[in-house]
Amino acid sequence: MVTEEEIEQVTKLMKIDVHDHKEYVDKVHAMIDYFDILDKAGADEEEIISQELSIPELRNDEHIPHDEKLIEKLKNYKGQYVRAPKMV
Amino acid sequence: MNLNISALEYVQQVKNGDITVEDFISKTLERISKVDEKLHAFLDVNSEAQDNAREIDKKIKTGEKTGKCFGMPISIKDNICIKNSKTTCGSKMLEDFVSPYDATVIKKLKEQDAIFIGKTNLDEFAMGITSEFSAFGPSRNPWNAEYVPGGSSGGSAVSVSALECVASLGSDTGGSVRNPASFCSTVGYKPTYGLISRYGLISYANSIEQIGPITRTVKDLAFMLNLITGIDPHDNTTIHNPEEDYLSGIDNGIKGKKIGIIKEMMGEGIDSTVRSATEDAASKLESLGAECQEISLDMVKYSVAAYYTITATEAGSNLARYDNIRYGYDFSLEGYEFNSYISKARAKFGPEVTRRMILGGFVPSAGHAGKYFQKALKVKSKLTREVKEAFQKFDYLIGPTVPVLPFKIGEKIDDPIALFLIDINTVTANLTGIPAISVPYAMSKGLPIGVQLMADSGKDKSLLQAAYALEGEVKLPEMKI
Repeated sequence: MVTEEEIEQVTKLMKIDVHDHKEYVDKVHAMIDYFDILDKAGADEEEIISQELSIPELRNDEHIPHDEKLIEKLKNYKGQYVRAPKMV
Repeated sequence: MNLNISALEYVQQVKNGDITVEDFISKTLERISKVDEKLHAFLDVNSEAQDNAREIDKKIKTGEKTGKCFGMPISIKDNICIKNSKTTCGSKMLEDFVSPYDATVIKKLKEQDAIFIGKTNLDEFAMGITSEFSAFGPSRNPWNAEYVPGGSSGGSAVSVSALECVASLGSDTGGSVRNPASFCSTVGYKPTYGLISRYGLISYANSIEQIGPITRTVKDLAFMLNLITGIDPHDNTTIHNPEEDYLSGIDNGIKGKKIGIIKEMMGEGIDSTVRSATEDAASKLESLGAECQEISLDMVKYSVAAYYTITATEAGSNLARYDNIRYGYDFSLEGYEFNSYISKARAKFGPEVTRRMILGGFVPSAGHAGKYFQKALKVKSKLTREVKEAFQKFDYLIGPTVPVLPFKIGEKIDDPIALFLIDINTVTANLTGIPAISVPYAMSKGLPIGVQLMADSGKDKSLLQAAYALEGEVKLPEMKI
């Protein structure tokens, strides 16, 4: 059972400003209830498959120069620095 | 001029000098201005398209080497980056974002002299299956404008179906190319995972999403794959594909091939006309020499829950980057503390994206991950094993692309579970990485029905051969101009 408080906590962690948490509770609750079907899948013993790539398979960690100054694409910057709101 | 031609016919007609690129682009733009106010396939139309057309005509006239697209008008889903062009993802969050680089698929198509006629509408950040969750309003089905065109690549499918371009690129995370292709009577393709580079596709759920073409014919789809597939150093998940020619041998037929009809996709919840169309398609394939037999994939029943758990988790992580500081919309920094600014800025996400981010924060969280996220990954593994075993017996699997007919705009928007279940036949290909294609097969009540074929990973060429054989058995009404 998902509570309004849990949703409030998740929205805070996800940095989403949701005015009316109640508006989301019913739908998120319905979605999570539906996910309970996973309990019936009988896949508990299954091994999780993951794709592995060894380091030599990865591209080289090299600087690729860009033909424009990307910082100039931002609305808020000063010199070489991105402007952000104050931390208090 | 006939706009209702295939990509291959377009290329041939330009090569023969029967049409010029400029004329075709001009007529296409006229068509867009005539129908798109109603259908809303496009979020942005390329104002330089006619200049681009004139340049390509000049190249052809002077005998300069011209790319294989010969100025073909292609629409691009608005979550794929084109340099110096807006890429909004159908979201207010990115309404002012201009991409500083080209996606790999765009770079490849530019090299082949494609003309990007415009950016197409989508559910916000590709999260949806109706195109109703676009922050800029829904697209409409060209076969009946009161109905949804499917999604999330709804604008792309509408643009191809309504003759506003010759081909399109969409992205498919859980059926987002195949679903609208089915609803709009076009061909839609989800390739083997890694066949097409995702570099420049704005991420939603990286582990399963793929860029895929939407075209009028299967041959056009093969033509597009020839241009955009291949390994890409910018995307380490791309797979080696040594100069595969998807057009050669496309008419090899399916004699002697074995096809499994997926039981779980033909049962509860399926519209009777969709079921009978799929059964009819299987019979047609049998008449062409294939052998069809029912197969059960037990995990299909759980695939939607696994899919939404995994994608919500990945979306929660991917969407964390949207803080409106580095890119976003016009919202002043002044007067805000850092965290409150980010929360306030992120309030621009629409309701469906917000719901999925909440889910994405909840299902992998401490205390819940074992119940949801870990189980979803185990279902994904078990489904992959079942599918691998199936392909030891069968060459292809078949089922309806979507279990229902297109429905009216607004009809299901408030019922998230009803919307989830519409994905039940498409998510299997995404969770297992296999290729899948939706082929337009029938019409019911004036609305299209698509049939889905799937093959084992890496068997894309063989899958196109089967799809081409099926397409040859179909005669559907043409879009009225």
